[in-house]
Amino acid sequence: MSWELFLDPSLLRLAVAMSVPLVLASAGELLMERSGLLNVAIEGMVTLGAAAAFLASFAAGSTGLGMLAAALSGVVVAAVFAHYAVAWRQEQVTVGLTLYVLCLGLSSLLYRVVVGVRLTPPRVETLQPVVLPVLGWLPVVGEVLFHQHALVYLSAAVVAVVHLVLFRTSLGLRLRAVGENPVAADTVGVDVFRLRKAAAAAGGALVGLAGASLPFTLTGTFTEGIAGGRGWIALMLVIFGRWTPVGAAAGALLFAYVEALQFKLAMVSRAVPPQFLQMLPYAFAVAVLVRASRGARAPEALGKPYHREARA
Amino acid sequence: MTTEAAARGRWQVVWPYAGALAIALALLAALVAMLGGDAAQALAGLVRSSLGSGAGLGQTFNKTTPLLLGSLAVILGLRGGVFNIGVDGQIYAGAVAATGAAFVLSAGPKTAVLPAVLLAGLAGGAVWGSLPGVLRARLGVSEIFVTVMLNFVAVFLVEYLSTGPWNDPTAGEAITRAIPPQATLPYLWPRAGAHAGILLALAAAAGVWWLLFRTVFGYELRAAGDNPSAALLGGVPVRRAVGLALVASGALAGLAGAVEVSGFHYRLILGLSPGYGMMAILIAVLSRRHPLLAVPAAMGFAALLVGTDSLQRSVGLPASAVFVVQAVVLLVLLATEGVRRGGP
Repeated sequence: MSWELFLDPSLLRLAVAMSVPLVLASAGELLMERSGLLNVAIEGMVTLGAAAAFLASFAAGSTGLGMLAAALSGVVVAAVFAHYAVAWRQEQVTVGLTLYVLCLGLSSLLYRVVVGVRLTPPRVETLQPVVLPVLGWLPVVGEVLFHQHALVYLSAAVVAVVHLVLFRTSLGLRLRAVGENPVAADTVGVDVFRLRKAAAAAGGALVGLAGASLPFTLTGTFTEGIAGGRGWIALMLVIFGRWTPVGAAAGALLFAYVEALQFKLAMVSRAVPPQFLQMLPYAFAVAVLVRASRGARAPEALGKPYHREARA
Repeated sequence: MTTEAAARGRWQVVWPYAGALAIALALLAALVAMLGGDAAQALAGLVRSSLGSGAGLGQTFNKTTPLLLGSLAVILGLRGGVFNIGVDGQIYAGAVAATGAAFVLSAGPKTAVLPAVLLAGLAGGAVWGSLPGVLRARLGVSEIFVTVMLNFVAVFLVEYLSTGPWNDPTAGEAITRAIPPQATLPYLWPRAGAHAGILLALAAAAGVWWLLFRTVFGYELRAAGDNPSAALLGGVPVRRAVGLALVASGALAGLAGAVEVSGFHYRLILGLSPGYGMMAILIAVLSRRHPLLAVPAAMGFAALLVGTDSLQRSVGLPASAVFVVQAVVLLVLLATEGVRRGGP
């Protein structure tokens, strides 16, 4: 085994592809957290998005429709979450965990109702790589970055848009203000409740799309454990990226690299039992969070319900 | 308060639970009808198979055990203001330690082996809970994330052991060899197939109540959970209390894993926990973080689990339906609370 294995272009290309669900989910979670909503249902929402995408594609034969269904499922769950958290001021982690369980159950239930019991699990069409003109012709870089499927390009665009909206528009300024100091934001006429609900809906759509990327780019099938902790890891990536979309996306690439490397190592090495290699990304995630937690500062009002009549 | 007002107050607590239960049963009936079954018959079968017969009641007791221990683990954390989402991983860690102890001590007498196996389960869970506990106490790392990640690590560890070194070659699946008879938990009610684990779980509920409301540690833990900065100013070692709560929480979940091995499966299997950890969180919230109220809540969830299991066989209701029903029950309760609290 040589060091070249670690920089193999096909490995890097796989890592970029595998970063898609992490990039989209962490961008969605980040939008919500910046507005002050801590949504821990995200693992369930990724699973539900995957189920919705798979089932819509299975029933209607259209990948585009599948993505729409996934995004919609994310919006619906996030809207329910926001209503409990914002209007009813319920404890956000409790609501999030309940919705997490609901989404997991609902995903398998819908799958069972639509697909039924079969000997071999049905497959749907997966996205094919699109070679970008000019950029795709470059050596190595072209192969790694620009021989990818459409969702890779979309997630890069999402990171750019979320970054610009958050830090270069007045809407973004208001959103961040609501997450840091809702009392002050309210005083100057910002609608805290509406903005939080809107952030939840937009973030929910991205989380749902993250789910869609799993059957459409990685598996072609749906299974109960399809999310495999990616939703939870997106939660960690937001902290890792210090609540910035670019930082979270960089973390997603790093993490996806470890994930892809584990696949590669499993193919090369027979000495280590595969289960220990499979533990690797999760242990790595804990180690990364320990490092990232040092000096991390969350939005001031994260997880705290805003009550107009309560005294500060 | 007049008795009339007190009675009304009591009803205000009770009716959301009754309403949530009714909605859960209606939801189940609708699901059964959707799958082409007879809803009324199915609901009758659900009650009969979980509470209406000796064997059903025995199964409900057996399922109550891990659910109650798991929810006590969650409650202990919640009282200190931390979320233990890693009950499943800690159950597996406890099960691994218990199975290992049973294999190593197979030559000893039952009076020594069984307690050692249960203690090993406690220790295994405590070890699994100590990593998030230490990271949270020392470095302020989110226990939510660390406990969840350790779930995955534990599942892969069980997969390795059950398919590798401890595998039973005659079974061929992800199943280990059986533990020796000295390591098995006795039956409490042999005709119904109920093992003595329920007694351990009930004792644990009383123990957690005592710990929370009758000891200095419990007082400090609750203070840390209610208002950490005030507790710190009052001289409570907040970090230590929260860290220890996660260790103790892991130990309770680990005991659940040991009981599943020594009382029910008699071996370590992959899929030992069908999501007990997730249900434990719902039970903890449902019982308003009270260890004694967790007893009826866990038993209700256990009955639902056993009942839907029978519907799985009779009308093909998928196992996941139980998660939907349980989560909807909690959402309805949270909604009634929210509506009563009023708008922003």
